[in-house]
Amino acid sequence: MAQRLLMVKADGSVLVHSDGGSYKPLNWMSPPCWLMEEPGMWVVQNKAGEKLLITIDEVLHESKHELGVDPGLVKDGVEAHLQELLAEHVTTLGAGWTLVRREYPTAIGPVDLMCRDADGRAVAVEIKRRGEIDGVEQLTRYLELLNRDPLLAPVQGVFAAQQIKPQARTLAEDRGIRCVVLDYDALRGTESDEFRLF
Amino acid sequence: MKIRVERDGLADAVAWVARSLPSRPPVPVLGGVLLDAGSGEPTDALTVSGFDYEVSATVDVPAAIADGGRTLVSGRLLADITKALPNHPVEISVEGARMAITCGSARFSLPTMPVEDYPQLPAMPQFAGELPGEVFASAVGQVAVAAGKDDTLPMLTGVRLEIGEGKLTLVATDRFRLAMREFPWEPSGEVGDTAVLVPARTLAEAAKTLGTSGSRVELSLAEGDGLLGLAGSGRRTTSRLLDADFPKYRQLLPSEHSGAAVIDVAPMVEAIKRVSLVAERGTQVRLEFVDSVLRLSAGGDDEGSAEEELQVEYTGEPVTIAFNPSYLLDGLGALRTDRAHLSFTTPSRPALLKPVDEDGGVAPGYLYLLMPVRLPG
Repeated sequence: MAQRLLMVKADGSVLVHSDGGSYKPLNWMSPPCWLMEEPGMWVVQNKAGEKLLITIDEVLHESKHELGVDPGLVKDGVEAHLQELLAEHVTTLGAGWTLVRREYPTAIGPVDLMCRDADGRAVAVEIKRRGEIDGVEQLTRYLELLNRDPLLAPVQGVFAAQQIKPQARTLAEDRGIRCVVLDYDALRGTESDEFRLF
Repeated sequence: MKIRVERDGLADAVAWVARSLPSRPPVPVLGGVLLDAGSGEPTDALTVSGFDYEVSATVDVPAAIADGGRTLVSGRLLADITKALPNHPVEISVEGARMAITCGSARFSLPTMPVEDYPQLPAMPQFAGELPGEVFASAVGQVAVAAGKDDTLPMLTGVRLEIGEGKLTLVATDRFRLAMREFPWEPSGEVGDTAVLVPARTLAEAAKTLGTSGSRVELSLAEGDGLLGLAGSGRRTTSRLLDADFPKYRQLLPSEHSGAAVIDVAPMVEAIKRVSLVAERGTQVRLEFVDSVLRLSAGGDDEGSAEEELQVEYTGEPVTIAFNPSYLLDGLGALRTDRAHLSFTTPSRPALLKPVDEDGGVAPGYLYLLMPVRLPG
């Protein structure tokens, strides 16, 4: 038998974790379900009658902690916020640049930002937290489609991310896409040029 | 528990309580409604309540009680069932861990949840005063429109409620606009002058359902516990207060202006909606005042442009000022009058919208302060 971490949450869910596999349990049962303790065995059953059987040979450690009322999770630095910040400070990408719009629609999904550079040429910007190859591929598809639009073409591409993987950078630059590393804290600290009451 | 209640009263009560329940409760009991027969005040009533640690809602329904008791069942399910019941008296009884509902020839059996696991409902705080329901509902509606929706700035997601000198002041702002309503009310004298911050969404919901015409709304407050209570039409609700500092807003209110216009609201609203069709994502609509003509325009070379002219009463130098169209529409809609008074100093300073009464004067008690947006170039 293997050593495992068994977790029982307040919502009733039961999870079996090994010392690996990151956040993923080896096996689990989602609530609503019922845990029945039998000698040397846990039986977890759900509404549909499905059962998770856990055989317990030895208990190394057992403890219980009340986590109290959940204040909710606040995520910081997510792509949406980066997009919002970059839209507000579009000149970070180049002097004289203007924003056409966020979430510029295309047939295969919205481009994060559509901008015009100082000379009025269209630029599509794809924003990622971590810049990897799939992000470059995504932007390439958008560019291919956008360049078929005679009102927009030629459309340049900018791949903007907090960090850009070397392979992604190589691929992007090979395709004529400019890479920009974003400093989230600096963007956040920059005052918006929007008028505000306070 | 064994009781008999009127179908409509029960359906309304359960619907109202279930409305404030979380759609994905962190623990199953918080998605339940508590049915309490006979132990409340009055004794010949069924008390229906819900609570999610933020908001509580309680309502009494007259009932014939054969056997008192308390039980907890899924709120959504009970709301759906009671809404669909035929128009006959409803009999509810609890046997063991199941609740039976009988209405006409329809029968339901629901699993109950353990009442012991349900949190203690907060008591109604100290009575602070009361006011007519429709006054409260319209005031909250006029102010909550300016509250922020961004939870990362909690102090802006609330409506500030100030109690003082026989008047009640409601204020909300999201940094781009600020709405303020002041009106006299009847304080109980038991709660001293104070100011609290109430989550705007909760307050707006509560005001809408409690503020039916002809009713009175009672306001109660426990500042130490961070709780606001509202009661009216047999319904009681409490909300947690926001623990955040509201910005010092009085200094933002302009004391003078260099240009002022009196505008007919309905044609203005229509015109803004039309021209802002070309203002992608509500960027801006420009207002150009020259003598007694207001020219509205929006858009640019990239996305198409639109303009429209309106006759207005204008005093001041010719000026062009731009606003976010949806914020401007919110303000015009919140005035609740046929005509609006718009005053400003420069295109980069806040503009003030006020209601105009039938005599053509500015009606006191409400203001909507709106920050312009930067003009192109």
